[in-house]
Amino acid sequence: MPARRLLPLALLLAAALHAHVGSPDVFYEGAAGPYRLLVTIRPPVIVPGVAEIEIRSSTPGVSTIRIVPLPLTGPGAKLAPTADIARQSKEDPQFFTGALWLMSVGAWQVRIHAEGDKGPGEMSVPVPALPTRIQTMQTGIGALLFGLMLLLAIGLVSIVGAGVREGQLEPGVDPPPSRVRYARVTMAATATGVAALLILGNQWWNSEAGNYSRIIYKPLELAPTLQPGGRLMLRLNDPGWLRRRVDDLIPDHTHLMHMYVISLPGMEQVWHLHPEQIEAGVFAQNLPDMPAGRYQLFADIVHQSGIPETLTTEIDLPQVAGRPLSGDDSAGAGPPIGKTPSVATLSNGAKLIWENAADPLRAKQMTEFRFRVEPGDGIELYMGMQGHAAFVKTDRTVFAHVHPSGSVPMAALSLTNSDPHAGHMMGAGLPPEVSFPFGLPQPGAYRIYVQIKIRGHVETGVFDAQVN
Amino acid sequence: MTRHSENVVPWYIWCAVISVTSAMVGTHWDIAWHRSIGRDTFWTPAHMAIYFAGVLAGLSCGYLILATTFAKDSFAQQASVKMWGFRGPLGAFICAWGGVAMISSAPFDNWWHNAYGLDVKVLSPPHVVLISGIIAIDLGALILILGNMNRAQGSARRRLNWIFLYIAAMVLICLFILIFEYNLRLYMHGGRFYRVVSMVVPIVLAAVSIASGRRWACTIVMAYYSVFLLLMLWILPLGPAEPKLGPVYRQVTHLVPAEFPLLLIVPAIVLDLLFAHTARWNNWLRSALAGAAFLIVFAAVQWPFATFLNSPAARNWFFGAMYFDYNLPPTSYYVRSLFLNTELTSAGFWFEMSLAAVLAILSARIGLAWGDWMQRIRR
Repeated sequence: MPARRLLPLALLLAAALHAHVGSPDVFYEGAAGPYRLLVTIRPPVIVPGVAEIEIRSSTPGVSTIRIVPLPLTGPGAKLAPTADIARQSKEDPQFFTGALWLMSVGAWQVRIHAEGDKGPGEMSVPVPALPTRIQTMQTGIGALLFGLMLLLAIGLVSIVGAGVREGQLEPGVDPPPSRVRYARVTMAATATGVAALLILGNQWWNSEAGNYSRIIYKPLELAPTLQPGGRLMLRLNDPGWLRRRVDDLIPDHTHLMHMYVISLPGMEQVWHLHPEQIEAGVFAQNLPDMPAGRYQLFADIVHQSGIPETLTTEIDLPQVAGRPLSGDDSAGAGPPIGKTPSVATLSNGAKLIWENAADPLRAKQMTEFRFRVEPGDGIELYMGMQGHAAFVKTDRTVFAHVHPSGSVPMAALSLTNSDPHAGHMMGAGLPPEVSFPFGLPQPGAYRIYVQIKIRGHVETGVFDAQVN
Repeated sequence: MTRHSENVVPWYIWCAVISVTSAMVGTHWDIAWHRSIGRDTFWTPAHMAIYFAGVLAGLSCGYLILATTFAKDSFAQQASVKMWGFRGPLGAFICAWGGVAMISSAPFDNWWHNAYGLDVKVLSPPHVVLISGIIAIDLGALILILGNMNRAQGSARRRLNWIFLYIAAMVLICLFILIFEYNLRLYMHGGRFYRVVSMVVPIVLAAVSIASGRRWACTIVMAYYSVFLLLMLWILPLGPAEPKLGPVYRQVTHLVPAEFPLLLIVPAIVLDLLFAHTARWNNWLRSALAGAAFLIVFAAVQWPFATFLNSPAARNWFFGAMYFDYNLPPTSYYVRSLFLNTELTSAGFWFEMSLAAVLAILSARIGLAWGDWMQRIRR
């Protein structure tokens, strides 16, 4: 046990950067046959590691839930191990929990099989297993292991000495001086050998730690440049992580990239844009009119493997005389941070009401963020969804693009052979309420941008939330 | 020098026997667990059996050291070594060291999993600490017995000799666990397999033959080894198991045991005969003869036996050739009962076999020296 290791490892303590920024947990609401399930998956920060699963059935009558982890794609996706039975809460029989091993870095899915008085039902929830840190050694365990190492090292030398000195003497015979001297020489040689072993062990440990640090997730970097005419070029740079590629992106809601542009520092203005890929790893976006200033970019992409990533950067822009928004691109604005009421007045005069704004928010706990439009007519699907919400911590260490089905990218969900729109309202005649299941990951102040399409125009409501 | 109470096998030697056996049963159980279920927790029965070995060895030998240190029985003190102010049999100190090492590996392994993930491989730094502890307990048990055996005579010596040979077999089984990934039957027509076995076996058999002094010491050791592995092969599959990790290529329903034991008992018989007839020879000559004979005889029996193990006739509970890990794809050589050439050319094969012969000779020579050293243990 190398002594050097007992000092804290000066290794990565990177923020838990996943598909979303600073929000590794997966929240999903979907249908397992006749049962509506709210699923929370907390993936391990170390891989291989254990993911924690929480499932709440909003449909009564679920008696048993089985859960099993599978790779999202490839042959392993069809070769399932025996499923675990999730533990049913005694206090709340519709609440189930479990833990599953995710054995390799990459895109996984948790297959959920529910049984109850309405028969069986099944669904799968994608979850990325991305190691984000190496644990440093706490002082207590470090001191314990260092003490044990010293005990074993010194003990070994002493045992060799005792054995050489007296081990072969008849009982009652004292060791002659020559044997005592020989024992000392042997102990010195043993101590040298033990020291060499510890040095070799330390090198081995360093090598293992180095190997592990190479699999620590490093998100793609985003390099923006503004070209004349307000054309924003975005280059994806790979800092080097496993065998990731930038030419294997798959569309999510028909777009390879979903990008939120947020004005700084007040976060009053937001643009939800969809840059086009012009070559592998290079995207372009014709910006709309934008005032000069500093902007935060959050760009969501999904790889063919099902691994989603959010790329982040900041950019200073001069005043941009751009082109009108088109297609699915949209923009919105709100008051400065901290001054929003629970009712947002939309650009068309309608109101967007955060219905459970008064409920206290707790970190990591799944909450249904419920919103209602008044008047509630004319609501349409926006990119196949009843609404889109972006949750952004005001220090920008957290970003999550969430749908009414949760935080799972639809592109990843489509790889599970599940219908990504199963259970969602389709087409016209949508109800005026929309909810987003999500858990804010850390205490602090958050800004929520909620977007809903009303009569062909995307409206944006801006809200503030506080997690204590 | 001996005394009346040494005519019975002391309690601490039985503790050592239980400890060593528990470690080996636990380790085989654990490997079977990973081959059939895949994932585990600290609290599996296999882990409990392994750690029980460390706790039992540590506690029993710790008590023995304290009892000897503060004993009024002067003979116990006279038949002991001194370390850090304590007195006790040399083997007790080694066993206690092994127990501490094994127990130390638990928090180390737990931290390792938290830092670098839940590894399921055999060789990692905390696992090496654990294995070092197991080997120390094995060696400590050997020396604990030798301290008594080398002072005993008559039936007491014979009894202790049987136990000594049993522990020696456990040492060999422990060493085989370290190299089991090289010893699978698909490698048995390659030179590497014979090289690895030649490094491990002659050293133990030569040492045991000298230290035991019994004419059939090597044969008895390999008989113990064979019986132990056969019991593992026949008993472990009785335990139900199902894969808990994917991908699952084979629907395993019961624990997957280790393979049929190697036919080492045949070269062991030859070595016993050789050692008996070359007692007055120079040790290097004896080693050369023993090493070469070991390799030739072992290859002569294991090579055709491997062919048999890869045949349909061996796919039954007795020979166990129908057990496969849950995660072995159907395309693997192992599942298809094929041999994998570990050397690409015949020159490479003969180089490996030549190396095996040299290593077998060196291994036997070290074993003779080790056996001579063990023969002189008195405390």
